Amino acid sequence: MTANDTNHINLYEDHEWKHPTKVAGVPWKNPVGTASGTFQYAAVRWFYDVSQLGAVCTKGVSPVPWEGNPSPRTTEGPASNLNAVGLQNPGVDHYLVDDLPKLKKIGATVIANVAGHCDEDYCEVVAKLADCDADMLEINVSCPNVTHGGMSVGTDPVALSKLMDKLRPMTDKPMIVKLTPNVTNITEPARAAVEHGADALSMINTLLGMRLNIKTGEPIIANRTGGVSGPAVLPVGIAAVYRVRTALPEVPIIGIGGIDTGEKALEYLYAGANAVEVGAAALFDPVAPLRVARELDDLLDDRPELAAKLAAGQTWR
Amino acid sequence: MTFTRTYDVVDEAVAAGYFPPRHPVTITAIEELTTGVVRMAFKDPYIAEHARPAQFVNLFTDNEMMLMPRPFGVSEVNGDEVSIIFAVVGKGTENLAAKHVGDSVDVLGPLGTKPFSIKDKAHYVLVAGGLGVPPLICAAQKLHDAGESKVTAVFGYRDEKFADDIVAPYVDSLLSIDNEHGNVVTLLDQLESNGGLTAEGLDTVLLACGPLPMMKAVAAWAAKRGLACQLSMEQRMGCGYGTCVLCTIDTVDGRLKVCSDGPVFSREQLGWGE
Repeated sequence: MTANDTNHINLYEDHEWKHPTKVAGVPWKNPVGTASGTFQYAAVRWFYDVSQLGAVCTKGVSPVPWEGNPSPRTTEGPASNLNAVGLQNPGVDHYLVDDLPKLKKIGATVIANVAGHCDEDYCEVVAKLADCDADMLEINVSCPNVTHGGMSVGTDPVALSKLMDKLRPMTDKPMIVKLTPNVTNITEPARAAVEHGADALSMINTLLGMRLNIKTGEPIIANRTGGVSGPAVLPVGIAAVYRVRTALPEVPIIGIGGIDTGEKALEYLYAGANAVEVGAAALFDPVAPLRVARELDDLLDDRPELAAKLAAGQTWR
Repeated sequence: MTFTRTYDVVDEAVAAGYFPPRHPVTITAIEELTTGVVRMAFKDPYIAEHARPAQFVNLFTDNEMMLMPRPFGVSEVNGDEVSIIFAVVGKGTENLAAKHVGDSVDVLGPLGTKPFSIKDKAHYVLVAGGLGVPPLICAAQKLHDAGESKVTAVFGYRDEKFADDIVAPYVDSLLSIDNEHGNVVTLLDQLESNGGLTAEGLDTVLLACGPLPMMKAVAAWAAKRGLACQLSMEQRMGCGYGTCVLCTIDTVDGRLKVCSDGPVFSREQLGWGE
């Protein structure tokens, strides 16, 4: 029909990944995963083989089912989405018998995202995930849409250190801490997380944002504020990765924020990330994560030095 | 932005056993039905073949500032051509309404896991309010094609009756009203008092789509008479396919997603009119 597409990639043909990476010792088929809040296996599986991705980071799970925030939960910003789901999820027990075994059965590399309203919540979830089949755990201390836990921990290096001191002895699994950009200096919580046992860091979670209805003068989202994601946040995420890489030369970093093309993923890798995750772009096209992975795989052909570093678990800077 | 590609992706996805991703289609018709209400048609063999009443399609603007999908209920299918009807309510719908025949627009669909259930032979009363008409037009068309059921349309409008001509060929009878003269409950009461609510040997089933107050009123009206009532719900939506969990509504089974747990819910599920 229309033919404005010069680099057509058939996402459904067999593809041998040329450029793997490693994050905290865990091999990824390629450097592209899904970002936690936007991945629900039951929905995505109809669109493509998610085991093709470098990793699948699943939606945050809590000790018991959470119903999340009231609606409306979303609105739009310039080149962005605002969301305030509030971590609605069916709980860790459901995850262990449903999403996780299904994803492992198809050969996906799985990152289980851990949510909590308090330290005890996080501990309870990590205890249940300590010996599960997930390849990595990601501790969500950066959700802006819950009143307790989430971002309130990730913005406070002391609280984050205390939480990590509790979680670290509970499991040998590689533990990623997902950081919020809603801080003055992201290297401070980054350093606290690493000094207290994080094996890797992922960044950024959403930025705090709000839109108002100018007819009523009231916020559009029922939670009033939401998390901003999408292409608009790209420079914020890249700067976060660059600053943390500069401050902490050794820690594995997963770059997140505004990635919808292979080129943008590449930018994060040049900023010092070992891998990236694709989030909001999946709201604009379900196959976005796989397409970004395929585009990046081709872009890395022309960048052998970067590709070699990633394969060895190292980074550009 | 590299979302847009050729229609080939649909064939590639289907051949591999997957649901088609976002893809461009060509607009075949675009017209203003009344002030601020637009009918758009586009050619999409896959959506045309698979769309069921109350399913919707995501349309995307061509402005990189406005990336969120705009979900619209499918109103009619004619051959390979799929029609939608939408109101121009903001910048995104303005962008889409400014398209011309022959232009390309990106779509994803058909979406929505639970369409109206119209398999059983019955007397279907299609109740629509305002921009809730598309799923009912689609139901009317499918029921007309099947040719087994009796179909009565009950359409309420703010002012101009922009969808009457579209739905009329598909239904046995059509009652419509504008705000000045009443609402769909006025018409349902009329239908009942005229004996038009029942049809010999057929169960009466209400299908409804419209603004929330209308939906609650219709559910209560149906409940009072013990009639089945299926309601196609609307909510501010993100992805449209179940991954983002942004479009929830409260039901007796907890917070469910309009896109992938619905969009059709029974009055019992919604806890209305018990």
